[in-house]
Amino acid sequence: MKAVEAISLSKMYSDFYAVDSISFDVDEGQIFGLLGPNGAGKTTTIRMALTLIKPTSGTIKVFGIDCVRSAASVRQISGYVPQEVSIDVDLTGYENLLMYAKLYYIPKAERAKRISDGLQYMDLSDRQNDVAKTYSGGMMRRLEIAQALMNRPKMLFLDEPSIGLDPSAKTAVWNNIMHLRDEFGTTILVTTHDMHEADVLCDEIAIMNKGKIVADGSPKELKASVGGDVISLVAHNGDCTQILQEHGELLVSKPDLGIYELVVTEGEKAIPAVLESLEKHSMRVESVSLKKSTLDDVFLKYGGARIQDSGTGREARRMRRAVRKRG
Amino acid sequence: MIGSRYVGTMLTLAEFELRKLRHDSSEIFIRGVQPALWLLVFGTIFTGLRVIDTGEYTYLQFLTPGVLSQSVMFVAVFYGIMLVWERDLGLLNKLLSTPAPRSAIVLGKALSAGVRSMFQAIMIFVLALIINVQLRLDLLDLIGVSVVIVLAGMCFSSLSMCLAPIFKSREKMMGIGQAITMPLFFTSNAIYPVTVMPEWLRVISAFNPLSYLTDAMRSLLVTGEYSLIPLDIGATLLATLIFATLATLLFKRILE
Repeated sequence: MKAVEAISLSKMYSDFYAVDSISFDVDEGQIFGLLGPNGAGKTTTIRMALTLIKPTSGTIKVFGIDCVRSAASVRQISGYVPQEVSIDVDLTGYENLLMYAKLYYIPKAERAKRISDGLQYMDLSDRQNDVAKTYSGGMMRRLEIAQALMNRPKMLFLDEPSIGLDPSAKTAVWNNIMHLRDEFGTTILVTTHDMHEADVLCDEIAIMNKGKIVADGSPKELKASVGGDVISLVAHNGDCTQILQEHGELLVSKPDLGIYELVVTEGEKAIPAVLESLEKHSMRVESVSLKKSTLDDVFLKYGGARIQDSGTGREARRMRRAVRKRG
Repeated sequence: MIGSRYVGTMLTLAEFELRKLRHDSSEIFIRGVQPALWLLVFGTIFTGLRVIDTGEYTYLQFLTPGVLSQSVMFVAVFYGIMLVWERDLGLLNKLLSTPAPRSAIVLGKALSAGVRSMFQAIMIFVLALIINVQLRLDLLDLIGVSVVIVLAGMCFSSLSMCLAPIFKSREKMMGIGQAITMPLFFTSNAIYPVTVMPEWLRVISAFNPLSYLTDAMRSLLVTGEYSLIPLDIGATLLATLIFATLATLLFKRILE
């Protein structure tokens, strides 16, 4: 069974399609990423899966349960961390978890263990009795994830999980997310506009733009589809063209200027081999550099533009700052 | 099973409203300023003037239940703003992603407003005792008053939650709150008896839940005349039910 299965799913608002007939499926135990710029329809897709809004047409199922017909059953097995703040900053960390343990009808005998597990797992035990508005951005995010784990969801939806976090907090959140997949086999659907995040975190990616899925596959496959890595070389004492051609496709070859660009599949592994064979022919390489292909290149190819950080992302960060105690 | 989960959701929401109040109760005192002025300034002056005929009771005795119900209404009517704020933050999305039925969430929020109103009312009540307003302090009467206060909070917060999905922004809700509180207040029997009202105002007052709530509190705290209480409670319950049903039906609009 697929963890999530969407078939020609659409959501129309008064005059435009926020989600335009998309189909995708997520395998059990995967981290699946919906990647795209703001306004691409990622959040709308997540909200339809979570039964918060009804699709205009098409179907979406979570573990085989229809999100329109059996909304309450879907909600019982799903966890959700919205892009915006979802913890009550006027309550303590412990109380935030207790509230959701109760709202998910966790039996009393089991609540204490789930809460202490959640706090421990997200590294918040020592601050559990502090009011959440005194937490840092990263701690708030981790508390939100802990909160979404109270019902031990089979399916976890994370909307822009690392938005507005500093690099070290980001890495901590990523590790927590991957740990959830590896240790509990939780299936996770994340949305992100951050190429790097999608690359690090996801097993499978669907790239969305203007309500449509424009490409999908593993990060590796997607990057390979735009060509590969580019090695740039500078060498002046002779023509390297023939030697380089044995290693990959030559993009640029100007022996008179000593400039070469070579396309290979895996840059890090290709460089030593290329240098070795050049040395064998007594070519002296003055400099070498590598440009890895990124998901940004993929998006550029399929989406026709670069993904920019703006709009809703900025709004979410502003909100996060607003609820945190100043000074 | 389903019934206990339903009530469980309501009680959970109210419980955490109380916990929030315990962490920070400054709001209760700030919101207490206005009703305190009504009692201390308006009440004292008009008691001295004797321009409003309140029968065998002093004007302050007459006014205290009115100010109690008025202060509860003022707190509860702005509850919709909180809903919009929670929507803007993401809290509401998160709450609606739990298996709890929508109507249980609406009633739970209403009950939270009722519980919050309780503490607001206690403050006014203590103030009235300090300035020596003669009130009936029978235990059963006080329990009755508590029930009426929670009901009042539920009624007006449900009204506010009907309006929130329609107006959707905090600024508009603020304006709407201002626009309905004063008319509700002045068309009720909170600061003058129905007998001094012109005919047209009496008709409006008969459709104003605040009149019934004030009347119930006045019966319990001042006159001890219970014959109209079933009507008062019945009318308020009916209004609450209508508002809460409308709010539930409109609720998902607030997310879009």
